[in-house]
Amino acid sequence: MYLTVTQTVAMDCYDVVRQLWDYLDGELTDESMDAIREHVAQCKQCYPQFDFERTFLEALAATRREHPAPNMVRRKVLAKLRKAGLEV
Amino acid sequence: MDGTLPAAESQRVDSRRFEVEALPWLDDVYRFALSMTRDESDADDVVQETFLRAYRSWHTFEPGSECRKWLFTICRNVFLRLRERERRRVDYGGDDAQLEALASGQEGVGSIAEHADILSRVDLRPALERAIGELPEVFRSAVALVDVEGMAYNEAASVLGVPVGTIRSRLFRGRRLLQESLVIYARDAGLTTPAPCEV
Repeated sequence: MYLTVTQTVAMDCYDVVRQLWDYLDGELTDESMDAIREHVAQCKQCYPQFDFERTFLEALAATRREHPAPNMVRRKVLAKLRKAGLEV
Repeated sequence: MDGTLPAAESQRVDSRRFEVEALPWLDDVYRFALSMTRDESDADDVVQETFLRAYRSWHTFEPGSECRKWLFTICRNVFLRLRERERRRVDYGGDDAQLEALASGQEGVGSIAEHADILSRVDLRPALERAIGELPEVFRSAVALVDVEGMAYNEAASVLGVPVGTIRSRLFRGRRLLQESLVIYARDAGLTTPAPCEV
């Protein structure tokens, strides 16, 4: 399938799927970002893959835990630093 | 006066800067250390050594540059030294070709429809946390830095001391392995039906 994307480079589905993660990570040039964004919005074949990968990466990012390092670790770090000369 | 501070004053200034710029990243460094070691006791050792080294080489830190990335780089090096010292096997997951085949495609791990179905049915957080823990270390570090810590590819490459292309390929393989783990997890939990055998 080959879609013509207005005002940007045309991309076929293979190129789009190949670069989906780079796109979702924001690691492409502005031109390529625009081309993929427009392609995905119009392409019924690519959209499910895009949607799946986006959901997957969001779930992955959500595994980040905000709980702090254990107090014991914090105390050990500070003790070691004080011994090395840190004034806290 | 030559403009330099007396030694005691200089140390006080350095201490203050370290306290303000480096210590607030302790939680992040601990999380990264734990993602590499997968062991709380080892992570504890890595974090202590990381901050000690950071303090001793604080004069090399460029003011205004990103302190978290600098600490992660030290943390990674400390981890590698620890692993070397303990003569642990470099956990690259065994056979490279087999690993790459596992990670490289969607064949054998179900269709995109099956994947999407799994994302909606599986409690993703515990399943993903377990799957991340089971990833070979090189992939786990890339996933931890980019997908969990939100670093750009070039930042992760700098921390791990590898080219950006290597980060890209490790992410690709790591993410595919995670997706495969989710499919297997869902099948084991009876949430999907196994693909029919080909005769």
